[in-house]
Amino acid sequence: MSEQMLSKLRKSTRLALACGLTAGVLAMTGGAPVSAAPSTIVIGNFNPFSGADASFGPEMVAGCQPAIRLINAGGGVLGHQFSCVEFDTRGDPADAVPAANKMIATNSSLGGILGPSADEALATVPILEQAKVPMFADTGQAFFDKSSYHYFWRITPADDVKGYALALWAKKAGFTRAAAIFGNDAGSQSDVPTLLKAWKKLGGKMVDNVKLALDQSSYRTEIEQMLASKPQVIFTEIDPQTAGTFLSELQQLHGLIPVLGTEITLQAPWLKAVTGAIGKQAMTKYITGMQPYAPTAGASWTTFNTALLASKSQVPQPSQWSSDPYTMTYYDGVVTMALAMLSAHSIDRGKYNKSIMAVTEPGAGKTIVHSFAQGKAALAKGEKIQFVGAGGSIAFDKWHNSSGAFEAAVQVKGNVKIVGEVTANQIAALTK
Amino acid sequence: MNLYVLSFGFGLITASILAIASVGFTLQFGVTNILNLAYGDVMTGCAFIAYLVTRAGGSLAEALLAGAASGALASYGLNRFVYTPFVRRGTRMFGMIIVTISVSLVLQNGLQGIFKATFFSLALPRPSSYTFAGMIFTSQQFVIIALAVVAMLFVHALLSWTKLGRAMRATAADPELARSCGIATDRVIDVAWLLSGALCGTAGVALALNVTSFTSTAGGQFLIPIIAAAVLGGVGHPYGAMVGAVVIGLSAELSAAVIPPSYKEVVAFLILIVVLLIRPQGIFAEVATQKEVVA
Repeated sequence: MSEQMLSKLRKSTRLALACGLTAGVLAMTGGAPVSAAPSTIVIGNFNPFSGADASFGPEMVAGCQPAIRLINAGGGVLGHQFSCVEFDTRGDPADAVPAANKMIATNSSLGGILGPSADEALATVPILEQAKVPMFADTGQAFFDKSSYHYFWRITPADDVKGYALALWAKKAGFTRAAAIFGNDAGSQSDVPTLLKAWKKLGGKMVDNVKLALDQSSYRTEIEQMLASKPQVIFTEIDPQTAGTFLSELQQLHGLIPVLGTEITLQAPWLKAVTGAIGKQAMTKYITGMQPYAPTAGASWTTFNTALLASKSQVPQPSQWSSDPYTMTYYDGVVTMALAMLSAHSIDRGKYNKSIMAVTEPGAGKTIVHSFAQGKAALAKGEKIQFVGAGGSIAFDKWHNSSGAFEAAVQVKGNVKIVGEVTANQIAALTK
Repeated sequence: MNLYVLSFGFGLITASILAIASVGFTLQFGVTNILNLAYGDVMTGCAFIAYLVTRAGGSLAEALLAGAASGALASYGLNRFVYTPFVRRGTRMFGMIIVTISVSLVLQNGLQGIFKATFFSLALPRPSSYTFAGMIFTSQQFVIIALAVVAMLFVHALLSWTKLGRAMRATAADPELARSCGIATDRVIDVAWLLSGALCGTAGVALALNVTSFTSTAGGQFLIPIIAAAVLGGVGHPYGAMVGAVVIGLSAELSAAVIPPSYKEVVAFLILIVVLLIRPQGIFAEVATQKEVVA
């Protein structure tokens, strides 16, 4: 054997020995670094953060951040901390579908999501269902009232339920002639059929029903036509920019008449747009909003609000979300997912999803808990729990929907003031 | 009051804003052949400048001046430092459209990043309403209409009676020939972008005044009617843009008096399609010409 071949043999022997030693060490340690950190569970905030509905995203973050603050402060779930990560759908299915696919493909530690909204739900819910991603959706589309999606959960009222609430409040306020001014987007239009049905059932007359093209520079002709039919009140759901233009033009042309809107009417972006357009006094005097009943009191809300106000570095001007029922439902969604994981002793999405109903529905012998910390402590003792969220009790039906009463509210000096309520029983009576 | 007369008045307001905007847009295209799809976002940026001026206690006149000045500077800067380098590197028309779309996205997201996803209103006193010939206007709307008339007269005078205007028309018609005739086309293009930018900024402030509450996407949403007005009149023809603006503005409002208002935009674009089927070059252009971008 030549010197060259011997040298090569020694080199290859040394290489083989090195590989063998390495393999041996890896085998002893299980092939993993000695001190592996458990992965952080990602809660996807899957909503528009840009485009026409860019205001949805910050509202969602305002619910997610206080929830993970409390979860992480409470030791996390099964050794895992939580984080909120934004996934921008741009409010358009064409952008939302790739965003959903990317979110699923690039986040192996995705625990669940908040969203999707009405802008992208129809396109993305099937994708999320197939990937077994529990989703606390904020879409109100009636399509999901009786769907068979196992991973779809909704603790915001469906749009069609809002129609009943609007009609009931207007009747209570003594109105008999109304105009329906709703945006021509799918989310707003889904309120209209039940509103028309309920208003007629209550003896009211809908004198005008307008599908408004959104974000136009003028609605003066539409306003003149509407006023010609002499409504006493306007039912509405239109986006903030459209509302600012429409209501300021109504004010300029003839002065305002009472306006009764859905919960969007009480959300910070709408309030900002319309207050800037018509002034604070007019806001208080003429604009009433109906939102899901979410009293800003009680142990659950206090826990949520304290954590929200402490989340200043992640949530700008956090107090603007303190009474926002959607922000509360996002918070409740994250806490519910965390408690369900603890209940199922698993962060596996396919496993813990079944426990979501178990930790929220009432039942004999259950411990009622108002926070993640209380829930974790009770579960650790082997107790069964019912989580009551910042937005109130959560009672899912067999299609995973939970809705309840509505409250009427007005804006007074920058704060939302509750002026009355429409009960779940009253709504139920109309739906029969 | 008669609904159609009222709608006509309302249409005049929309047409006025469209006229200011579309003449600026078409000037940019006419002189340099750049279809600037960031135009609407520059309008929005100028609306935000006006907002800051009024928040600091400025009047409507000061807000309009600030908007016009910022629009002029922004448009000049865009052309000189962004678009022209691409053109000189050989980017052709379609490529330039992609560049302007990119600029639009940068501007829109930049504005949203600075001002956040919320709504703004110019901090001006609420105007009074007046009835004139069966139509209702506010004092601010009279200002918008007056501005549009003054702007159109100014553009007409500039193009018809000044050396600069003749140079702009020559550059628009044939830039190579204009250069060989001794026209400093670079300077002409700069002035065209300054002027069109001033119109863009003024239109942005007028739009913010009209819609009352605006956000970072307001101008972008208004871009389609602007392009429609410019195309209807013949792209690159300021007089055509004026006529196009009146047609689009009036038809949108008048149609809302007859058909469901959710279709009012559709009517305006149907008119555009019908006109283009009969005259593909638009109302005022003599013939449909194909020319490349100019730098």
